[in-house]
Amino acid sequence: MKTLIRAGWTLWLPVLLVTIWWFASANSTNIYVPSLSRIVEVLWRDISSGLLIDAARVSLTNLAVGLLIAAAVGILLGLLIGETRRLRLILDPYIHFFRSVPQSALVPLIIGAMGIGAAPKIYTVAFACVWPILLNTIDGVRGVEPTIRSVSRVFGVPKLLYFRRVVLPGAMPQVVAGLRVALPIGIVVMVVSELFASNQGLGFYILNSSATFQIPETWGGALMVGVIGYIIVIMFSLFERRVLSWYFRSGAL
Amino acid sequence: MTTTHTRAPSAETKAPRRSALLQRDWSLLAQRLGALGIILALWQAAVLTGLLPSITPTVPEVTLGLWTAVTSTSFWTALGQTLSAATAGWIISCVLGVFLGLLIGPLRWLDRSTSVTVEFGRAFPTIALMPVILLLLGATTSMQITMVVLSALWPVLVQSILGARRLDPGIADTVRIYRIPRLLWFRRVLLPSALPFVTTGVRIAASISILAAVGIEVLTQVPGIGRMITLAQEAQRWDLAFAYLFFAGLFGWTVTALLARAESSLLAWNRQASG
Amino acid sequence: MTAPQSIHTGSLDVLGGEVLLDVSHVSMGYGDGEHEKRILEDLNLKVGHSEFVSIVGPSGVGKTTLLRGLSGLLPPKRGTVSVAGQTITGPHPDIAAVFQDYSRSLMPWMTTRENVAFPLQGQGVGRRERNRRAEESLEEVGLSGQGDKYPWEMSGGMQQRVAIARALAYHAKVLLMDEPFASVDAQTRFDLEDLVVNLREALGVTIVLVTHDVDEAIYLADRVIVIAEKPATVVDVIETGFGTVRDQVDTKADPRFQDARGRILTRLRKA
Repeated sequence: MKTLIRAGWTLWLPVLLVTIWWFASANSTNIYVPSLSRIVEVLWRDISSGLLIDAARVSLTNLAVGLLIAAAVGILLGLLIGETRRLRLILDPYIHFFRSVPQSALVPLIIGAMGIGAAPKIYTVAFACVWPILLNTIDGVRGVEPTIRSVSRVFGVPKLLYFRRVVLPGAMPQVVAGLRVALPIGIVVMVVSELFASNQGLGFYILNSSATFQIPETWGGALMVGVIGYIIVIMFSLFERRVLSWYFRSGAL
Repeated sequence: MTTTHTRAPSAETKAPRRSALLQRDWSLLAQRLGALGIILALWQAAVLTGLLPSITPTVPEVTLGLWTAVTSTSFWTALGQTLSAATAGWIISCVLGVFLGLLIGPLRWLDRSTSVTVEFGRAFPTIALMPVILLLLGATTSMQITMVVLSALWPVLVQSILGARRLDPGIADTVRIYRIPRLLWFRRVLLPSALPFVTTGVRIAASISILAAVGIEVLTQVPGIGRMITLAQEAQRWDLAFAYLFFAGLFGWTVTALLARAESSLLAWNRQASG
Repeated sequence: MTAPQSIHTGSLDVLGGEVLLDVSHVSMGYGDGEHEKRILEDLNLKVGHSEFVSIVGPSGVGKTTLLRGLSGLLPPKRGTVSVAGQTITGPHPDIAAVFQDYSRSLMPWMTTRENVAFPLQGQGVGRRERNRRAEESLEEVGLSGQGDKYPWEMSGGMQQRVAIARALAYHAKVLLMDEPFASVDAQTRFDLEDLVVNLREALGVTIVLVTHDVDEAIYLADRVIVIAEKPATVVDVIETGFGTVRDQVDTKADPRFQDARGRILTRLRKA
């Protein structure tokens, strides 16, 4: 009963908004604003035909590969730069500069230079996402307790083991925070790169629909991307809670 | 303001340290320049050896491109267009987000009612709506500003709600005991109390505003620096495209640095009180 | 003059003169119906002008809840609180309060002067007048010339003085204090206690203080109300008869002080 009341409190507004949209758009005469029922209808049609599923698979693969590259490069470089004070001081302004480049501006350059396939999209995502991960990892490494550091040194822990078992876990909360920042950037860059030029993926579905004046499909594709993005972000925060449970429980927050 | 012993490291104690660093560390500057040289040399080598795609401009070409860009009026016009669209959207987002956030945050029923909607809005990649908004509003500046607001509103809103939620119960009681009127409470209590959180949202919103404004220009016919990059790329003027990209980065960097500085001076009390 | 050297069992009514604060059949609690958690049962108490009343009881007995009731922050389940003949329905201009957590009741983004003047700003008092009153109150608590400092530049004892100054500047008739000296060291605590004694004498404010510290309750008050048990009820009332002047050494060595102390501690141990 109590959970029901709570669910009611949290869900009434979204339900109301969707209902309003449903009925307000039901008799829409504006060709650019199709009825919600029509949008749902075409969405369902293209999902069950597998068209949208394939498109989503392409987009999400690009996103995942790009993010993985960014994470690998960002974390490795971050550990290295974070541990070496001099290197950190020298490179600091350049990292901040690259971090500040509006990631969407990279899209025409990379796609223009490398063509329309999957690789340039993956690179764009990777390039855009690497900077927040790198910066956060550096911060995380710097934040590792000096006592823990000196203890490791006193016991002569080998360098590799030291990185793997001391520095990396210590920096983990910051690394994950970097991934959290990078994730939405990656999604945006993925969408922009596909909207810019593509022949497959969710962005292509939207682009193609709008170019051929299939308005309900355009809306449907946009909603689909939005919902997928939302689900990814929510899943990530669940993952974060699991991976960092020691951190949350230790009350370090 | 003579007591310094209770203070955490602050802007005041940092300033002399920084100048000392500069005096002592000419070598750091030299090393930074050296690092820049190495980066540029690597780039040049990568282009010449064919590691980067052959159309990538060489370092001298980009340097020339930078000069061409700075001396052309169209570049400055484009930069101005991007700047004004991003700024307009950013300001609207900030005003709207702070107002709504400070309204929602202190009211528990409203907070609970809106939480799912706000979460969804924040996680929703707004750029996906671009084709739809483009259909509705056309490739206009108002479309661009709308998109910027739809993207940048959320961090401000979420941070403002968080900030308003954490109003100290002791202060809340005090405000009630002394029957502080609603408007004064909003201005002198809730707003300053939420400010440390709000400024974070405002700072994130600024980066997102630039990202969205440039993204819209890249994807549509809306004029601005993003459009210039696309046009340069289409015209195979890679030197110019890289130069514009460089300036876009410089622009973003300047904005971030300015906001960080404004924030630390605005929130001097917060650092002291909690540090 | 030879003072009567024994303590009296006091009354919940005022000895003579006008009633300023009238607590009538007040019960406090949380929740409703079957789920109601009763904290305080049927309290009757009258406080006269310029009187100093302490309410003492063990930790967790519901003293803070009672004070929230008296201040209008939390409406009583039953009964009424009235000040100067007026039943209160919420925070009232005749009532000011000083809480235990001074550091959390002062606003860190305001200077000391702004903190003290802030309630006056809420009442529409002009800038010059409220700054004048703030300065005056800061002087009364021994902080003259410190108005430009921020709370976090001050010690805990000084912060609590600012909270007291804020209550004074508000010109309320009744000052409620909830464990006001619980978070400061012993010496500061004595200083603050004497400050409150002197303020009462100089300004004639009526003070109701809630504390778990028996010594403090006796030292400061004209009447000590002892509450205990669950839900809390009045188990004893003691009249100290010290007059308006106190001394940390002499008063505490006074046989009446010792008598009262023994009597209250025994009573609370039973509870």
